[in-house]
Amino acid sequence: MNEDSKYYAGVDIGSVSIKAALVNGRRLMAYELVASGGSYRAAAQKVLDSVLAQAGLNPERLSGIVVTGLGNESLPFPARQISDISCQAMGCHYLFPSARTVIDIGGQFTKAAKITPQGRIADFLMSEKCAAGSGRFLQVIARILQVKLEDIGPLSLQSQKPVEFSTNCAVFAESETVSRIAEGARAEDILAGVHRAMAAKVAMLVKRVKMEPDVVLTGGGGEDAGLVKAVGDALGVKILVPELPRLSAAYGAACLAEIGQGTLNN
Amino acid sequence: MPFAGIDIGSTMTKVILVDQEEKILASIIGPTGAEHRHLALKVMEEALQKAGLTLEEFDFIVATGYGRISVPFADKQITEITCHARGIRSLFPTARIIIDIGGQDSKGIKLDGDGKVANFVMNDKCAAGTGRFLEVIAETLGIKLDQLGDISLKAETFVKISNTCTVFAEHEVTSRLSEGASISEIVAGLHESIAGRIVNMVRQLGIEKDVVITGGGAKNIGLVRAIENKVGFLALVPPEPLLTGALGAALIGHDFVRRGLRPDHERRRDGVTFFQ
Repeated sequence: MNEDSKYYAGVDIGSVSIKAALVNGRRLMAYELVASGGSYRAAAQKVLDSVLAQAGLNPERLSGIVVTGLGNESLPFPARQISDISCQAMGCHYLFPSARTVIDIGGQFTKAAKITPQGRIADFLMSEKCAAGSGRFLQVIARILQVKLEDIGPLSLQSQKPVEFSTNCAVFAESETVSRIAEGARAEDILAGVHRAMAAKVAMLVKRVKMEPDVVLTGGGGEDAGLVKAVGDALGVKILVPELPRLSAAYGAACLAEIGQGTLNN
Repeated sequence: MPFAGIDIGSTMTKVILVDQEEKILASIIGPTGAEHRHLALKVMEEALQKAGLTLEEFDFIVATGYGRISVPFADKQITEITCHARGIRSLFPTARIIIDIGGQDSKGIKLDGDGKVANFVMNDKCAAGTGRFLEVIAETLGIKLDQLGDISLKAETFVKISNTCTVFAEHEVTSRLSEGASISEIVAGLHESIAGRIVNMVRQLGIEKDVVITGGGAKNIGLVRAIENKVGFLALVPPEPLLTGALGAALIGHDFVRRGLRPDHERRRDGVTFFQ
């Protein structure tokens, strides 16, 4: 079997969704994304089975797996593990060789990393103490407004007059949202206001890693065009977003498997 | 001739009426709605009715709290820090530290030997360490806010809640429950967490005896015990911890009159008719 026919998989276990990517020579051959649900183990097996099925491969054709993210100790298959930020950095490096800063806005955490021209981590920060600036903030507000997550971005971009929130706290913003609705504020203006408040918090984190262009935004946040615009405005730079923003860490994990990185976990 | 203090907090509106001897004639506590102005008048009218008085009869009316500018019939607006200090000075002359745990903020106030405000600290930026934290979690647990205290006292130990952020802590509580932790241990853990946050903030002032706890948080015996454990001695709690700001406001009105200030009755009437 020659090198060309070798396939590698990356599995990214997140708090909201579990992702898998299958690569061959860094080319993305298949991907899958499912809700994390109650069992990471079952969901991880499901995404891996799915990418293999999509590519029409037997499991033994897989030359290596790298797993990243949360709870990777309970996997049903042998895999090497690498931290999610290293996978994210490598994925972004291959997708955008000019990337020097990576912002990942996930369901619960927001991370900012400065990366080298080789796709290695130079500096890294994570916000885990406060929901402001995380995807959770948006979920809370979208629930009150009864707006579907995928509609948040397009709606926010229509805003002419973003609401100014007096608070950064997700809990206080929730009650402020209710007051603003009572005062007649429009959903798009509230969402654009939330995007601005979040972007301010994200920008603080990104500036602390001494941002350099180009800046890539990944994670579920990358699927929200309103948030991407607000972060770009707050940082004063153009933001690059992968075609599949939630898949970039899984893709990076698969690429790292291909170059033989990571330590075997079982 | 009587004096009135009205305290419009983020969650509750409080009115207290006192006479010349500073004896309480009537007090009312009602929820603060979105429409402060109408509510302020409604709660005031209720208190007046209870005391059998009319607005004109008052020598002085002082409004305080974050909604104080929405009280058009008040003769003066005074910050809640000053009013709390004045109220506590009359109730507990030995008080040096006031910890006020409100629905949307928490404060520490340091008093000098004369009961005047020497310094204060406040958190209104983050729901953690305020009544909102407990309100949100109580809802998640399906418990009434006023039951949290008693429930937590049943716990022999507490479950550590490692998330400070209310949004994340809510999630953590659900996970702990599914792992089989008891509600009383979780609630005790929440009190431990919020008490730690509040006491750390108040330490900036230098904690001295006596410590008085006020606001809705003071009605939660579990939270009071957790704060006492952290400061290392017992705290004082007023009989009605929600009313100290309003009481202080009424007493400050009396102080003004003693210094010769008189209300503008016409302005007061205009204020009422404007919102009727």
